[in-house]
Amino acid sequence: MKLAPLNTVQNAHDDSVWTAAWVPATEVSPPLLLTGSLDETVRLWNPEGPEKVQTNTGHCLGVVSVAAHPSGRIAASASIDSFIRVFDVATNNTIATLEAPPSEVWQLQFNPQGTTLAAAGGGSASVKLWDTAEWKLIAALEVPRPEGLKPSEKSGSKKFALSVAWSPDGRQIACGSMDGTISVFDVPRGKFMHHLEGHCLPVRSLVYSSAPLDSRVLFSASDDGHVHVYDAERKTLITSMSGHSSWVLSVDVSPDGAAIATGSSDKTVRLWDLKMRAATQILTSHNDQVWAVAFGPPLRTDVRSCLLASVSDDKSVSFYKYS
Amino acid sequence: MAYVYIPVQNSEEEVRVALDQLPRDATDILDILKAEQAPLDLWLIIAREYFKQGKIEQFRQILEEGSSPEIDEYYADVRYERIAILNALGAYYSYLGKIETKQREKEDYFIQATKYYNKASRIDMHEPSTWIGKGQLLLAKGDVEQAFNAFKIVLDGDRDNVPALLGQACVHFSRGRYSDALELYKLDPENVEALVALGISDLQINEAAFIQSGMEKMHKAFEIYPYCATPLNYLANHFFFTGQHFLVEQLTETALAVTMHGPTKAHSYYNLARSYHSKGDYEKAGMYYMASVKESNRPHEFVLPYYGLGQVQLKLGDLRSALTNFEKVLEVQPENCDTLKALGHIYVQLDQNEKAKNYLKKATKIDPRDPQAFLDLGDLLISTDIGAALDAFKTARNLLKRANEEVPLDLLNNIGALHFERGEFELAGETFKEALGEGIWCNLFGAEGESFPHMPQTNAEGEAPGHEARESQNRRVQTNLINSAQYPVDVNSSIHQYKDLQLFHRLEEQGLSVELPWNKVSTLFNLARVFEQMHQTESASILYRLILFKYPEYTDAYLRLAAIAKARNNVQISLELIGDALKVDEKCADALLMLGDLELKNDDWVKAKETFRAAKDSTDEKDSYAAVCLGNWNYFAANRNEKRAPKLEATHYEKAKELYTKVLLQQSANLYAANGAGMVFAERGQFDIAKDLFTQVQEAASGSSDVQMPDVWINLAHVHFAQGNFALAVKMYQNCLRKFYHNTDSQVLLYLARTHYEAEQWQDCKKTLLRAIHLAPSNYTLRFDVGVTLQKFSASTLQKTKRTVDEVRDTVAELKNAVRVFSLLSAASNLQFHGFDEKKIETHVAYCKHLLEAATVHCELAEREERQNMQRLEVMRQMELADESRRKAEEQRKYQMEKRKQEDELKQVMQQEKHLERIKEQWKSSSSGKRKDKPQTEDDEGGVSERRRRRGGKRRKKDKRSRYESEEAEAEGEDQEEAEYDDTNMGYREQYNDANDNEDKEGDIPQDVLAATGLEDSDAEDNAAAPSNANRRRRAWSESDEDEEPFQRQPEADHGTDMQQESDGEGNAAGAGAADDEE
Repeated sequence: MKLAPLNTVQNAHDDSVWTAAWVPATEVSPPLLLTGSLDETVRLWNPEGPEKVQTNTGHCLGVVSVAAHPSGRIAASASIDSFIRVFDVATNNTIATLEAPPSEVWQLQFNPQGTTLAAAGGGSASVKLWDTAEWKLIAALEVPRPEGLKPSEKSGSKKFALSVAWSPDGRQIACGSMDGTISVFDVPRGKFMHHLEGHCLPVRSLVYSSAPLDSRVLFSASDDGHVHVYDAERKTLITSMSGHSSWVLSVDVSPDGAAIATGSSDKTVRLWDLKMRAATQILTSHNDQVWAVAFGPPLRTDVRSCLLASVSDDKSVSFYKYS
Repeated sequence: MAYVYIPVQNSEEEVRVALDQLPRDATDILDILKAEQAPLDLWLIIAREYFKQGKIEQFRQILEEGSSPEIDEYYADVRYERIAILNALGAYYSYLGKIETKQREKEDYFIQATKYYNKASRIDMHEPSTWIGKGQLLLAKGDVEQAFNAFKIVLDGDRDNVPALLGQACVHFSRGRYSDALELYKLDPENVEALVALGISDLQINEAAFIQSGMEKMHKAFEIYPYCATPLNYLANHFFFTGQHFLVEQLTETALAVTMHGPTKAHSYYNLARSYHSKGDYEKAGMYYMASVKESNRPHEFVLPYYGLGQVQLKLGDLRSALTNFEKVLEVQPENCDTLKALGHIYVQLDQNEKAKNYLKKATKIDPRDPQAFLDLGDLLISTDIGAALDAFKTARNLLKRANEEVPLDLLNNIGALHFERGEFELAGETFKEALGEGIWCNLFGAEGESFPHMPQTNAEGEAPGHEARESQNRRVQTNLINSAQYPVDVNSSIHQYKDLQLFHRLEEQGLSVELPWNKVSTLFNLARVFEQMHQTESASILYRLILFKYPEYTDAYLRLAAIAKARNNVQISLELIGDALKVDEKCADALLMLGDLELKNDDWVKAKETFRAAKDSTDEKDSYAAVCLGNWNYFAANRNEKRAPKLEATHYEKAKELYTKVLLQQSANLYAANGAGMVFAERGQFDIAKDLFTQVQEAASGSSDVQMPDVWINLAHVHFAQGNFALAVKMYQNCLRKFYHNTDSQVLLYLARTHYEAEQWQDCKKTLLRAIHLAPSNYTLRFDVGVTLQKFSASTLQKTKRTVDEVRDTVAELKNAVRVFSLLSAASNLQFHGFDEKKIETHVAYCKHLLEAATVHCELAEREERQNMQRLEVMRQMELADESRRKAEEQRKYQMEKRKQEDELKQVMQQEKHLERIKEQWKSSSSGKRKDKPQTEDDEGGVSERRRRRGGKRRKKDKRSRYESEEAEAEGEDQEEAEYDDTNMGYREQYNDANDNEDKEGDIPQDVLAATGLEDSDAEDNAAAPSNANRRRRAWSESDEDEEPFQRQPEADHGTDMQQESDGEGNAAGAGAADDEE
């Protein structure tokens, strides 16, 4: 289990790079990396090279999230001005412009089946769902106010929805909020199930395990510097891993489910061995906050390895080989 | 009882003289002896008896009388006795000469002795005892060859003359020929002196076997004659080493009783003292050492009692005397390590560290293999030179290891702690682990678990476990036990994890013994600190809990757990843990201070103050930290007061300053107090003094690795900002962010944005604010600020006399963004996400739309200018525009009809705005505002009052308040009376002060505050333009041209503050963008 740095694109964007997502390969295109930045553009990278395939403009006020449809043909990007732009990856044609005022839009995520786009709705304390056929808003999963909340407390910003993750079967959504709680929803029934407590600072990134037997295992990254591993169904904390010296901004799980990668404000990317429950590798190729890490699909040449990308405030994008 | 009988002359009677009752005045006896013409041997016996009893004067008197010329005459035929008397005198004087130190008197004595021996020789040339005496004298004089000759003369006459042989042995002994000496000594196995001499010579050889035989001889000598001091001393010495103190005392007391000889007595006293010393009776030991010192009084001859005396005095706390004695020892033996160490030790206690260091360094140099010296040196250096101390400790450790001795836990603990202080956490951790050795904790921090309960094994190698593997397997089983005892945790209790001690109960149930010896607790605590520093928080927490499980009184462990919980924002648990600590010790100052800190965080001002006071009291006001906290409290209180009563403010500042100053008087190097004092100065506008203070503090803080003081950087930046040094302020904020906050602090970003704003660097300002939003998404104030920045940027661009088409286009784009931002805020306001007043935001929306409209006009104008340069292009473009216009015009006209009413109202607003602007202009010119575009209050507030402090976890949150306030005021264009306008500002101020107090709720601005600003007549804008924005956006993405579409213009004259001149007289202003936004 190891990460081998491949290459780094310096000045990949004109300003801080805040988000990244892999676009799965199609018949005509290899897997591509989608990045979004404060410079208001979304860019598409071919890891071979690596070279820039495209620069998409049209966003205002910084791109905070990008997500790719499992088909690899469609992608979505969201910015601070709360617009989501859905576009055709190959042509950059706008397919839809989505918004759900007054809620802002933070993390975006397509469900694994590709039928629904979920967005963490910020101050509305809800997850908004759009169907991908007609791009209609189909549901808003509200995070309930916690019980026993003092009336004096202004809860609005507390349950501020920041991050969102789909379970592999597409039946569950986990949503992380500013106050550190994670809310789990039953999507088909459109119902809130329960909270997962443990963090008390913003949860900026969430991901379900990709290993077949562990589909209930949820990883969460928080500003408290910890990565928690939950059993999202049994409502238990499986373990808590610390090591980053500042906020953990992003977490992603490897396709084989044996490792996770995290990116942090402490400028490092860490690879964690889940068997050891410890960081096995610390990579320091960035010199500012690492806002996103993303495992790519398995390599064609070697199915047991895959690519990892990380993006940072230092404007660069880095690629590694995980094997 | 022994008697001598003096025969009475011419009779049969005898006078009986009891030898132990000799009269004190020897004249009486002499009278009898002379009167009765007693035989000379009696004289000698009596004189000898006097000598034995220490009555030297009488001894001499008798002998001198006995060798006077009358006696010579009277006893002329008694040769032998006369010789004996002369020899006795000779021996006496040669002894005196031997022990006399002053050279002249020494010689005088020797001359006397020589005189007597010569006289004896004149009586009989061949008397061996005279020759022996002479030999002894020569020996005493150091004339070994002559002495040899003297003894030889005797031996030539009588080969077995014991004293002569002894003398000869002595000669050999002095020549270093021990074996010869031995031969000679052996002749008389019953002779005590011979035995003693043999013993000494054996002992001199200094080998175990010889020492033993030496001691045997001493013993034998003692048995033959138990009153000879030398063997007594040696035996005592021997028994001292074998630990038989009772014998030592007995022997030495006897020795003291039987000898008059100074050095021997000194030796005896020394033995006695040493015995008491080793028994811990320092009083007595001191007394006897003192006696011993007095007896010999020459450190060069017998230095040991000085050393002992020094040791005892050191023990008894008489440092000065000890110092003197040790220094005497050092005079004799300048390289004596123990003495050097002792001196070093004393100087440490006398606070003369420099001298102490020198002594200890010398000791380590002389004996670089003495771990103790390095240990002492390390101890000494800890407070002054961490690096050198660490080196010393490490050397000590290596020495001990090389000697295969056990390295003491304390030493390893010290090494670890020093590594820790130097920030070498890895090394510190390793050292602590070494110190701890094996134990339950190994499993705790080695927490490498097996797979998760649900994690499949992907490692398919399946190799057979080797020996090592089996061992680690064992470890892993235990670790697994621990993991499974700890996890999984039900999420509802997961936040209480830091209080969970059940884990260890579960482990015990599973048969794992949870042991933690007390002497390892602090090392374990230190190790946990290392883990904390290395961000292995989980390992740290479990170790702290282990400590608490075994030693629930260990408050520090509670406090560290509380600190961990606090760092993770788990305030509730943190409070509970501090509560636990206070249950153990309700006066625990650290716990109280932490509690006060948390109370401040929770906005419990009154409670916090009480807690800080309690902390201060519990430390007898000695703890400067508590005083600084109270100072901070007063500082915050001054700013916080809702009504902003200048009097109260002044009192609080005064109190704060007083507290800081008091601390500074006690500890001039207290950075936190100095920083606080700087804040008060800055608050009062004395920026130069404040700057000096902050700069000094900053320099001092950056000099030491363990002080983290971002506050002073921020304060310094604030001062630069207040003084208009924007570039410097920016740099400082940025450095601070990078250095201390991993660039994650949105508050500092806000300061930075404010500086950019003031420096009119709009793009930087916008980017900075966007970063801040990205970091703190729920802080809606930041969004509001972005809107204001965009608005301000646009307004200022449009005010410029020269601007390019691109600039104007940018302006249009940014205005659209501003409208979007404000609209979103407006839409969100009814969901109570944030505390902004809806109407207020509407005003902004309206103003931006208005600007946008004007901007499009400008855009058109600018483009027309450009057209003159590129006419052909322009013509084509116009044609396209015309097409587009026709299509759009229809829509717009319809729309316009509906909205006519609203526009009229807007018109009204703009008129009022203009009116206000005029009033404001008047007002501004009458005041002495620094920058023309902001109201007076800003100069007082914006720059100055933004100092912050963080010690105690508290930082002042003053958002950019008045900055934006003024902008809003400008933007609003409301028709408010001047007084109302002031109220507005006041409202903001209060609101910001509120916000100041809770770090977490940056965005939570009370809603009702803004309501006070009142905005009755902007109803027209109430229905936000949200839906249409989507249209606009969609069009924007599809590169529409409709921006150029002519559109019925708004009556310009009624609008605008900044725009007026430019807008007036514009013929046909047009702007589809504006039209969109009007919806």
